[in-house]
Amino acid sequence: MRLLRLFGAGFSRSAQAGLAFRINLLFDIVLSIIGLFATLATVFIVYARTDSLAGWTETETYVLIGTFQLLSSLKNTFIDPNLSWFPENGIRQGKLDTFLLQPAPTLYLASLARSNPLALVQFALGVAVIAVGISHHGQLPTPGAFLAWTMTLVAALTVTWAMGVLLACLAFWAPRLQLDVFYGSAWELARYPTDIYRRPLRLVLTYLFPLTLIATIPTNTLLNGPRLLVLAPTVAGAAFTCLLAITCWRLGLRRYTGATS
Amino acid sequence: MTAPAAAYGRPARVLLLIALRIRLEVLEWSGTWWFLFTLVIQAVLGPLIGMFVWSAVYPADSSIATYYVALLLVTVMTESFEQFTFSEKIYDGTISHDLLRPQPVVITTIGTNIAIRIWLTVMGIPIAVLAAFAFGVSLTWAAALSALPVFVLGATLSFCWIYTLSLTAFWTERVHSIVGFGWTLNSLLGGTIAPLAFLPGPLQDIARVLPFYGMLGLPADVAAGRVHGLPPVLTGLAYQAAWIAVLVTSAVLLWRAGIRRYTVVGA
Repeated sequence: MRLLRLFGAGFSRSAQAGLAFRINLLFDIVLSIIGLFATLATVFIVYARTDSLAGWTETETYVLIGTFQLLSSLKNTFIDPNLSWFPENGIRQGKLDTFLLQPAPTLYLASLARSNPLALVQFALGVAVIAVGISHHGQLPTPGAFLAWTMTLVAALTVTWAMGVLLACLAFWAPRLQLDVFYGSAWELARYPTDIYRRPLRLVLTYLFPLTLIATIPTNTLLNGPRLLVLAPTVAGAAFTCLLAITCWRLGLRRYTGATS
Repeated sequence: MTAPAAAYGRPARVLLLIALRIRLEVLEWSGTWWFLFTLVIQAVLGPLIGMFVWSAVYPADSSIATYYVALLLVTVMTESFEQFTFSEKIYDGTISHDLLRPQPVVITTIGTNIAIRIWLTVMGIPIAVLAAFAFGVSLTWAAALSALPVFVLGATLSFCWIYTLSLTAFWTERVHSIVGFGWTLNSLLGGTIAPLAFLPGPLQDIARVLPFYGMLGLPADVAAGRVHGLPPVLTGLAYQAAWIAVLVTSAVLLWRAGIRRYTVVGA
């Protein structure tokens, strides 16, 4: 409860700071719309030449892009402002020392305390794209499918956060290793159905670096209904990744000796 | 002015200064190989995704993979980061150091640009070879050499485009968003998300005239052997030259206007 209050206060403060610069807000909205338009244009161009992309129809791909947009928005809002460049800022420049001195869990302060509420503009656009996709799909999702979709989205967000923390944790052992940029680049691979990638890469994206979870699994769940064989491993995998991230963070903190005096 | 430089005429002096700057920057950037590698990964991602998407649409067409491997190489060899190497200097005031030097400020920017491109090329070639091997692609030397003129103009055009956008840093603090917008246009109309031939008719005609195809798609198309005959190459070269002239003029005008309003605090 205390963490939620802290989270709410931090979000509110960030929102006020962001809204103070209205031109920037307008700029971000326009750029988000342009970025989304470019992605939708890509889909339009691809489906002008084919009816099916690795088994996905055009409307299914629109729902997938909307779902990807939702997750990207949440990542940009809550995760990236904290964990990007953590090895540089947190470890090498010693910013983690400040977190250790504050009366709140260090993992929360390092990974969730700051936010970028303006990035939520993409969330609204993602919802709009999903709505358009579903309306063209011809069949409304059942309440069960919608509930399962929400569950997979929460699981995907948890895994996204946990992967970010795990990559940040590497800095406790190798401070010069800056892998979050690769994570950000690899994230883009989830923008399309992972079925388009060839087998070794597809297996990596499904099991080792679970980007399939970001958009492909939630979209499948929403459009084709929940399947226990997919839902159970998704939730279990998210819980395991989350526990792994917390454990690694604690082990890393034991090694940390501080960079400031 | 250094003694050897003074012995030459103005163009030769400028070239010598650029060469010296490139040497200096190549050495400076050599210590940041990890960061450069992250830039390479970011650069190759677009062409790789395009290759996967279009190979899924046309599994039997090997020319698509050839095009995208060529595009991957062109992309890493022509990347420009003036929003970081130039605009950030305007934001933190360190461009004043360059203004005090007895040489045009753009020389430093060009030197940094070419040095980064050299490192990205060195690091990007193994990735291109790996992609070519995975997709069974073989680029011919003859086609690659025939792409040299359009590649050189494309690389110049790419620099001019990003540099012109980066000059907006004199007026706004959102230069990264502006360059991001430019990058989106480049991906959409330059041949990254789809080869130009796959764009719908009207969009294809527009894209052929705009500068973005000349930066990436045209050199990749020629290197991949997808352009047949001399006339399309000559037309492409003419568009590239015209856009370079437009962007250089814009950059000069923006620089003159921007430097008049530039102020900095501190000694």
